[in-house]
Amino acid sequence: MKEELTPALEVQSVVKNFRRGRGLKRKITRAVDGATLTLPRGELFGLLGPNGAGKTTLVRCIATLLIPDAGTIKVLGHDAFKDSLYCRQRIGLLTSGERTLYWKLSARDNLNFFAALYGLTGKARDRRIDYLIELLGLKEVERDRLERYSSGMKQKVSLARAILHDPELILLDEPSLGLDPQFARFIRQFIKDELNRKQGKTILLTTHYMDEADELCRRIAFINKGRIVNVKTPEQYKRDIPHTEVLEIRLQGQPDAAPLQALPGVERVASDFKDGVTTLKVVAPRAEAVLSEAIEHLRKGGRILGIDIKQPTLEDVFLYVTGTSLGADTAEHKPVAE
Amino acid sequence: MSLTATAAAIRAEMVKTIRIYFSYPVIVVFWAIFPVLWVLPFLFQGKALVGSYDSAAFERLTGSGNYMAFILIGAMVSNFVFSGLWGVGNSLREETYWGTMEYIIASPTHPLVVLIGKTLAEAAVTTCIVALQATIISLLPFGISFTVAKVLPVLLLVALLMVGFYGFAIAFAGFTLLIKEAHGWVHTLEWVFFLFSPIRYPVQVNIITEFVSKLIPLTWALVAIRAIILLNQRDVGLWNIVGILLAMDAALLVGGYFTFVALERKTRRDGTVGMH
Repeated sequence: MKEELTPALEVQSVVKNFRRGRGLKRKITRAVDGATLTLPRGELFGLLGPNGAGKTTLVRCIATLLIPDAGTIKVLGHDAFKDSLYCRQRIGLLTSGERTLYWKLSARDNLNFFAALYGLTGKARDRRIDYLIELLGLKEVERDRLERYSSGMKQKVSLARAILHDPELILLDEPSLGLDPQFARFIRQFIKDELNRKQGKTILLTTHYMDEADELCRRIAFINKGRIVNVKTPEQYKRDIPHTEVLEIRLQGQPDAAPLQALPGVERVASDFKDGVTTLKVVAPRAEAVLSEAIEHLRKGGRILGIDIKQPTLEDVFLYVTGTSLGADTAEHKPVAE
Repeated sequence: MSLTATAAAIRAEMVKTIRIYFSYPVIVVFWAIFPVLWVLPFLFQGKALVGSYDSAAFERLTGSGNYMAFILIGAMVSNFVFSGLWGVGNSLREETYWGTMEYIIASPTHPLVVLIGKTLAEAAVTTCIVALQATIISLLPFGISFTVAKVLPVLLLVALLMVGFYGFAIAFAGFTLLIKEAHGWVHTLEWVFFLFSPIRYPVQVNIITEFVSKLIPLTWALVAIRAIILLNQRDVGLWNIVGILLAMDAALLVGGYFTFVALERKTRRDGTVGMH
């Protein structure tokens, strides 16, 4: 295969189990269950799923931080584990969380250190760091210790580190998680305009923010309980349920939502409980048709705080396809026999 | 990675480690003063028991009755070894605390290269601290004096001792990646060495300690260093001891390398690389 035709990333039937505990208490959980993906060069691809769906585990497998139990991963046609040095040199990684840098060092010192790990030295390293510091607006604070930076500024340094060695494939795991809206917007624009459009980088972005995936990605894979459920463009997903509405009911307490699933016309029901309030999403061709019966069932369960009928968003499509709300936490989802 | 790039990575790790080290200046003061203060109670206890700083019984076992000098030399050399063991063994654990371990593992540089950088940085800092301790001790009336003729063979012995211990520390770094704990293990190991090598007392007092001590490189180095500094002996069988230390170094380095590689791979399989 010609080099330019080789996909940037090929993930084939990857399985990753985690073993926890010992003896009789030993439990094996399947975090990634036969994931398969292909990313052509230059694509900005989204991996969307709730917390615990297996997004981060899959990214860590691709970054060679985790060794899968089965399956293969190829980066630019090279096996990620047999030819790990080649692949690591071509992967840029950004994980979520502030604590991924040396807070006692400055931005420049951090970048100097990581540049050396990627074989960048001398004037080439200095030029690259100068360029990135300028590009990400870190010039004024480049010599300050990171402990004095805001979360958003630290994330900019993390982003600079991810692209320091000019990688072909960039893995961004929840890049805007926990950032204030201004920084989150900057990071999103930078990913789309600078890294993808201008520099043509292949990007795998994981998120559980629907808007982020919708705004940035050409294609999105839904991942739920370790399985990749679907891979489509956002428009294709929305077209999949064109004649469906979402009845959203918010009520106090935790009512039993199971009877709603049995109502005629109801296709899916998802429940999300937070701060004493349950949000139920009922997917049906005509929400009005199930409204009165749904209220009848729920009246005994708690005080109804609000009812709304909406056109489906990408988040509702996720619910429709997987039966799981993106706000849910699905960690520890699939115990497997040893 | 080319040799030049590997050397640059080692240098970058050294610079980083030393910068972070000196961002907590109180640690330097601690390591320089604490080991000296720490042995003083034992010396005073010895004086209370024996009645002076000289002991005939001690002389029968070691060739010198000056147990004060014996203990101070043991304290200095063991401080060198333990701070190295602590620094290198715990260093990857620190990286997991800082959240940077995964980025080191995900880079094309082998984590052992980073560990070598940490080892060299640790050795440089520890050498400065022990040199400061030695200067303080030689200025005080403990009967210890350093001359160039004494210092050169001692430096050779200490260097060989440290190579082996750093091999051990590299294996230990692998264990800390796996077990996510260092304090308890380092302190346990310290007490094992205190018991089975002549740091504070002549191991000849007990047949078991005398036998086990021969398996520990620290014993061979201490015997030779004390013979040179304390007993002013010229013929200490230096080259025999150098040979023994070299053999032990080779075993510890090879063992340390394979242990580390196996444990690092296991943590990647278990998915616990970044955990602490």
